[in-house]
Amino acid sequence: MVSYSSRRNLFKAYVTWFLKYLFLLVIVIISLFPLIWVAMSSFKTNNEILSNALALPSGISFEGYKNAFKIIGDLTFEAFGYRITMQKFGMFFLNSLYISLGSIVVNVLFVSMSSYIIARYDFKLKNVIVTMFSMSLLIPATSMIHSIYILVNRIGLNDTRTGLILVYSALQLPMTLFIMRSYFLGIPTSLEEAAYIDGAGFLTTFFKIIMPIAKPGLATAAVLQFLTSWNEFLFALTLTTKESVRTLPLSLNYFLSLFSFNYTSLFAAITMMILPSIVAYTLLQEQVVSSLTAGSVKG
Amino acid sequence: MLKGKKRSFWIVMFLAPSLVLFFMFYGIPLGMVFSTSFFNWKLSTPKMSFAGFSNYMQLLSDSSYRTAFRNTLIWIAIQSTVHVSIGTLVALTLAKHPKGWKFVRTSYMIPNIISSAAFAMIFLNIFNAEYGVVNNFIRLLGFEDFNLNWYFDSRSAFFTVTLSWVIYAPVIMLLILAEISSIDQSILEAAKVDGASSFQTDIYIVLPLLRNAIGSSVVVAGTSMLKEFEHIYLTTKGGPGTTTLNLPLYLYNTAMKVNNYSYANAVGVTIIIIGVIFVISINRLFRVGHSDI
Repeated sequence: MVSYSSRRNLFKAYVTWFLKYLFLLVIVIISLFPLIWVAMSSFKTNNEILSNALALPSGISFEGYKNAFKIIGDLTFEAFGYRITMQKFGMFFLNSLYISLGSIVVNVLFVSMSSYIIARYDFKLKNVIVTMFSMSLLIPATSMIHSIYILVNRIGLNDTRTGLILVYSALQLPMTLFIMRSYFLGIPTSLEEAAYIDGAGFLTTFFKIIMPIAKPGLATAAVLQFLTSWNEFLFALTLTTKESVRTLPLSLNYFLSLFSFNYTSLFAAITMMILPSIVAYTLLQEQVVSSLTAGSVKG
Repeated sequence: MLKGKKRSFWIVMFLAPSLVLFFMFYGIPLGMVFSTSFFNWKLSTPKMSFAGFSNYMQLLSDSSYRTAFRNTLIWIAIQSTVHVSIGTLVALTLAKHPKGWKFVRTSYMIPNIISSAAFAMIFLNIFNAEYGVVNNFIRLLGFEDFNLNWYFDSRSAFFTVTLSWVIYAPVIMLLILAEISSIDQSILEAAKVDGASSFQTDIYIVLPLLRNAIGSSVVVAGTSMLKEFEHIYLTTKGGPGTTTLNLPLYLYNTAMKVNNYSYANAVGVTIIIIGVIFVISINRLFRVGHSDI
């Protein structure tokens, strides 16, 4: 009897073990296989994709990557008085990069300044401001697209990269606030006291002493801002019409019609688009994961 | 720390940029959404005139709006149940740190951190009728004539769109994992000593302790459906007909294509109201923030 039940337990343990790993395998497959298939197909020829979608490429061909840049013509990029004429896809890439970096600077600088004040000082309306900022996490920005469109138009920032930089910085405001505030709260005030006694001013203390210590927090906020700006679609679609200021996610919209018979180039374009996000995420994975959970719970 | 006038000066200076950013792109637009929804404001009649509740009355009899409303509610319901269960199941499995759990955690996150526009394109190609992986795989299994056009057939469009978000629950997984790691280990040890199997421990001890985290997960998963736009816009565009239309897409079409601004903002107000009602009732239901002990 004992041996029977222990054998049954052993069998049950094996089945549980098997089911557990099968489940995890399915999770990994649904997560990675779509991306791997697209990346793999970007090295195939059009005919190979159409005739046998599941097969490996017969050889590594970079035609798709070259064509993605060639196929939709040239554009001129203007910033800070420089003009560069280049292929459209390269241009969309550059715009995405410029907007993502711009919004990192604006968001991380502005919001860490106010997070520092919120973390260190008590003042009138402090609770009102914090509640207001956190409430904005609850309001879906999709409900305000038209009003934001009108406002951006009013201040003359429609069809500009600056307009998108400001909107993206605002979208990430509550998230950066949570990350930076908790980071500043963890820094002992004795450091600042010492700096003030040594005669340092407020700005020197903040930029030379506090900000360098807060680097890990700043990096996390920067990665999350990068992911938001690099991936954003809806506002890029509504706030821009000129091709010369449009971003990568929107380029997919063009490719949909232009590339309808050139799958290789479409897949190459997708691969080039998702790679920076994956790199940015894997670089700072642990920090991103912990702040994402903290942000969602507080939201 | 600073004192006196200097103190107030720097407080104002350091708060001002964020406050300006907030009011420009959150506060003022939010006010505009609410106020203009009570006016008549279209491209054809650009002069605004007060209209009371007429935009809202019109919504009640607008069949496209009703479909979008119903679809959005169905998707909220599916996300807050099926999606949250999948995420919780993955978290409970990974919490025991089986071999390779970190790899699974990272992989599962990846579809979530890439651009949802790119992900929509990937799904569109995977479910392509001719060369898509899914149909090719089904043909390989012996159904040689299988030719379902997943996204554009009215029988499968809703299912395919739903699939694209319901099975990807990495954020839920992370939320639950974080909560599990904060559970007092001695409780689990005690259960083990009393002879509970790991399945029994999960069901009777861990799950009830996760009430707060599951409540937050339901809020996150449900409200995400009020923001969903890209995937539908780049695949079905709400079709066939209005099969996969949701509120954000309907708002976008009304504002940017039909150019009926005040009506679009009335749709926006309903999105905000659904969100607020949903968050409040889920927090009540799960008594989020209250402790059992």
